[in-house]
Amino acid sequence: MECVVQGIIETQHVEALEILLQGLCGVHRERLRIHESCLKSSPNLGLVASEVRVLCDLEQPEPTWIVRHIGGAMRGSGAEQISVLVRTMVESKVSKNVLRLFYALGYKLDHELLRVGFAFHFQRGASITVTVSSVNKMLKLHATDEAVPVTPGIQLVEVTAPASSENYSEVAAAVSSFCEYLAPLLHLSKPGTSTGVVPTAAAAAASLMSDAGVTT
Amino acid sequence: MPLKWVFHWQPNAGTTVNSQMLTEVSQCAESINGVKEGRWKATLTFYKPMFRDQAVPAEYPRDFLGISLPEQPNRYYFIIRSQKIVLEADSSIQMIMEKLQSYKSRVSLTFEGFQYQLGDFQLRVGKVAPSASENLRGIVLEVEYLPLSSMEKSRQILDGFVEIWQEAMSKRSLPGHFMHIEPNFAEFGLSDHYTSQHTAVQYATVMAQLISAVQTAQAVRN
Repeated sequence: MECVVQGIIETQHVEALEILLQGLCGVHRERLRIHESCLKSSPNLGLVASEVRVLCDLEQPEPTWIVRHIGGAMRGSGAEQISVLVRTMVESKVSKNVLRLFYALGYKLDHELLRVGFAFHFQRGASITVTVSSVNKMLKLHATDEAVPVTPGIQLVEVTAPASSENYSEVAAAVSSFCEYLAPLLHLSKPGTSTGVVPTAAAAAASLMSDAGVTT
Repeated sequence: MPLKWVFHWQPNAGTTVNSQMLTEVSQCAESINGVKEGRWKATLTFYKPMFRDQAVPAEYPRDFLGISLPEQPNRYYFIIRSQKIVLEADSSIQMIMEKLQSYKSRVSLTFEGFQYQLGDFQLRVGKVAPSASENLRGIVLEVEYLPLSSMEKSRQILDGFVEIWQEAMSKRSLPGHFMHIEPNFAEFGLSDHYTSQHTAVQYATVMAQLISAVQTAQAVRN
């Protein structure tokens, strides 16, 4: 299971966000360069249609691979009262043959993306990860060196934390609480609930940059 | 990691494996001063594809296997032998397969028995049986040479050990012998340096041999 919120920020304010996150998290950022392949089952395969994501971390000296299955979100009145999305998520580290295996099993590439940016991993009431990245599409199959932004000038911010059925409310509360600190720069909400950029972002960014002694 | 050869019991034509043979093999290990240690167990699962419309013809692998190995309790291995694919994953991959509902477990077999220490070698003798029954379907033998990971460098040493083993076995006059078929690991993208992926491929090869032996015996009976 995991708790998730997302938001968008203009690229020009990413540096300010990084300064804010650095101050809040107390850890160094890690560079992020993830090639994400979304695979879908062939038309007749499976009792229901299925989808799986294969992530390749290109930032490592030797690329590492993960398979991730994202399940349904928690529903009902309890879920509506929580400001973060709680959903099932299972992932597994795998060796490099993973795409070949899934193609052989009857899965096809639906789309692929390259996420480039940075991430902070830290502990604050829960094990939280904040990623800030531009989402890029490849003009040719698997051509990660020739990727172009899907939304130029806008980057995606995602805050996630692993959870279980026993502790998801505490984790959700920790994520919500952390997100309040980011409110001047961006609004984070459940994926699928778009809120756009925040009007105070420019002023907040300028203030952060000036505090940090950065001249723009 | 240390390398190993996996052998399967090849019964003579017209004979089938039985538990007395398994006892004899274990005694053979002890007769060459093997020190009995603990138990071991590996599991192999056949997966079959699930279709929404059974009438639509489909091209999907019939030899998609999953294997768990005792030396890697947090890992799981997938093999499609016909396409020379092997994948190592965290055990959580099994949960992902369950959630996808595209492939389901068809039948599971266990390989289990005792292991023996003989100097630099570790032997594992195991019976092969369906997970839900004690019905003996085969016997496997693992010979592991602990000091080396290079298959090429250790080949002569293993050949030498196997000679000693086969000689000890021949004194028991059992109707069959242990066979080792070395897969072409390079076709699976595996190097000379031994890993658990090599072991998974060997078990898939052993399984293919066991199935072939059963089919041959059935044809002879018919």
